[in-house]
Amino acid sequence: MKNRIDRGGSARPSLPVVNVVLVDPLSVVRSGLRLLICGEPDLTVVGEAATADEALETLRVLARRAGLLALVGLNLGGQRDGYWLIREIRESFPSIPVIACGANSDAISISRALFFGADGFVDKTARPGDFLHAIRRGARREMVLEGLPPDWMAPIADGIGRHRDRAAVLTGREREILTVAAEGLTSRQIGSRLGVRERTVTTHLFRIYRKLGADSRVGAIAAAARSGIITMGARE
Amino acid sequence: MLDVMPTGDQQGVRVLVVDDHPMVRTMVRLACDERNGLAVVGEAGNGNEALELAASLRPDVIVLDLILPGISGLEVVGRLALEDSTARILVLTATDEKTAVFEALRLGVSGYVEKTASVDEIADAIEAVARGELVFSKELERQAQVQLGEFAKRARETARALARLTPRERQVLAVLAEGLSTRQIAKRLGLSARTVESHIGNIYEKLDVRTRVQALYRAAGLGLVDLITKPGDQQERGRQ
Repeated sequence: MKNRIDRGGSARPSLPVVNVVLVDPLSVVRSGLRLLICGEPDLTVVGEAATADEALETLRVLARRAGLLALVGLNLGGQRDGYWLIREIRESFPSIPVIACGANSDAISISRALFFGADGFVDKTARPGDFLHAIRRGARREMVLEGLPPDWMAPIADGIGRHRDRAAVLTGREREILTVAAEGLTSRQIGSRLGVRERTVTTHLFRIYRKLGADSRVGAIAAAARSGIITMGARE
Repeated sequence: MLDVMPTGDQQGVRVLVVDDHPMVRTMVRLACDERNGLAVVGEAGNGNEALELAASLRPDVIVLDLILPGISGLEVVGRLALEDSTARILVLTATDEKTAVFEALRLGVSGYVEKTASVDEIADAIEAVARGELVFSKELERQAQVQLGEFAKRARETARALARLTPRERQVLAVLAEGLSTRQIAKRLGLSARTVESHIGNIYEKLDVRTRVQALYRAAGLGLVDLITKPGDQQERGRQ
C-alpha cells in the first residue's frame, strides 16, 4: 500500500513519521497528494478514503498507530460530508489531528471546519512546500492556516463566533427534535421516536422556527445545518 | 496636545500618529520625513484625540499604539470602523499580550509592527499599508493563528456545554452568577429550594465541577453566562 518515493540522499535517519490518512472523493486528488506526501522522508500515507464512512473505518483499523493525521477534503459531499466527518473524528479519535483541506474555500466553510474540530485548514492552492510543512505542524497539533491571506482571520473568527452564538439559541431537546426532523419524519413519528406526544413536538418546532427566524420546517433545518447546530446524517 | 501640521503635499500619504510617548511620535515623524510621499499631518497622545483627529484630518494611514491612556488602541480601531473611517491602520506597539495580534486582525487592521522595528522598517510598513498591502511578519501571523485555534476550541466547548443545559438550568446558572444563595434563587425563580438544589446538582454534573465557585469559574471561562443572559445578541465586530 505504501508508495513511497525514495529521493536519494534526502532520507534522514530516525525522523518521527507522520502517518497521513487521505480523505477526498476524487481519486486523482488522492493520488496527487500521495505522491507529494510520500516524496518526503518524514511523511507517509497509510490510508485513503473516498467517503466519510470509509474514513472512519480506516481510522478505526489504524487507530493504534502513532503519528496518525487525517487530511479531510471539504469537498466530501452527501449527508455525511466533510464537516460531519471532522466532528466524528474529533469525538471518536480525540488524539488524531485533523486538517481540513479545500480549494478556493470561503471563510464560512473554513470557520465551520474549525468550529467542528479541525486543527487547521490548508488550501490546495498553497505551494507544495508550504502544504507539506502545514502537515508537519498539524501533526504537532499546531494550528495551521496555509494558503490564506492574513485578513481572512477576521471573517473566519466572526464565523466561528456566530456558530457558537447560534448554538446558544437552541436547547439540547430542541436540537434533538430538529435533528430527527431533518431525517424527514412527521411530528407524530418524531414524537414516537423520542417518546413524547405529537403536540409537544409541534410546540417545540414552533419555538425552534421562531428562534432561528425560519417560517417552515425546511427553513429551520437548513438554517440549523448551515450554522452547525445540527449535522445532517448525524445520530445524536 | 492636538498637533495639526498643515502639509503642502496633497498627493502624498497623510499619516496620523497615535502614541502616548512623544519619543515614539518623533520617531515615526522622522521615518516619514525621510521618505518622499509620506507626511505626518497630526499627532495624538490618547485614544480620544486619535478619534477626533481621524475625523477632522481624514488621514490615509493611522500609526497606532495599542496601549494608550483612556480608551485602548483596539477600541479606537473598533470605533473608527463604526465611523466608516477609510484610514488604514498600522499598529506599532510593544505589547506582549498574546491575543493582541489576533484581536487586531479581527478588527481589520492592515499591519502590525513591533516597536523594536527600525525607522526604515516603519517607513516601509507605512508605505506598504498605504498601497493596500498587509504587513504582518510570519511569526506574528502564526501567533494570531494559534489564538484563532484557541478561539475555535473554546467556541466549540461553549456550544457543547450550552447544548447540555436545559432552559431551566440556564436560568438557574444565570442567577447563580449574580451571587445569589440557593434560597434567594428559589425565591427569584418561584421554585422550592430543593428544586433549585437539584438543578444546581445537574449543572455541576454537566459542567463537570464539584463546587459553586468551580461552576461559576467554568461558566465564565466558557462565556456561558454572557450567552445565556444575552441570547441571540450576535453583534458583528465592526471592521473596515
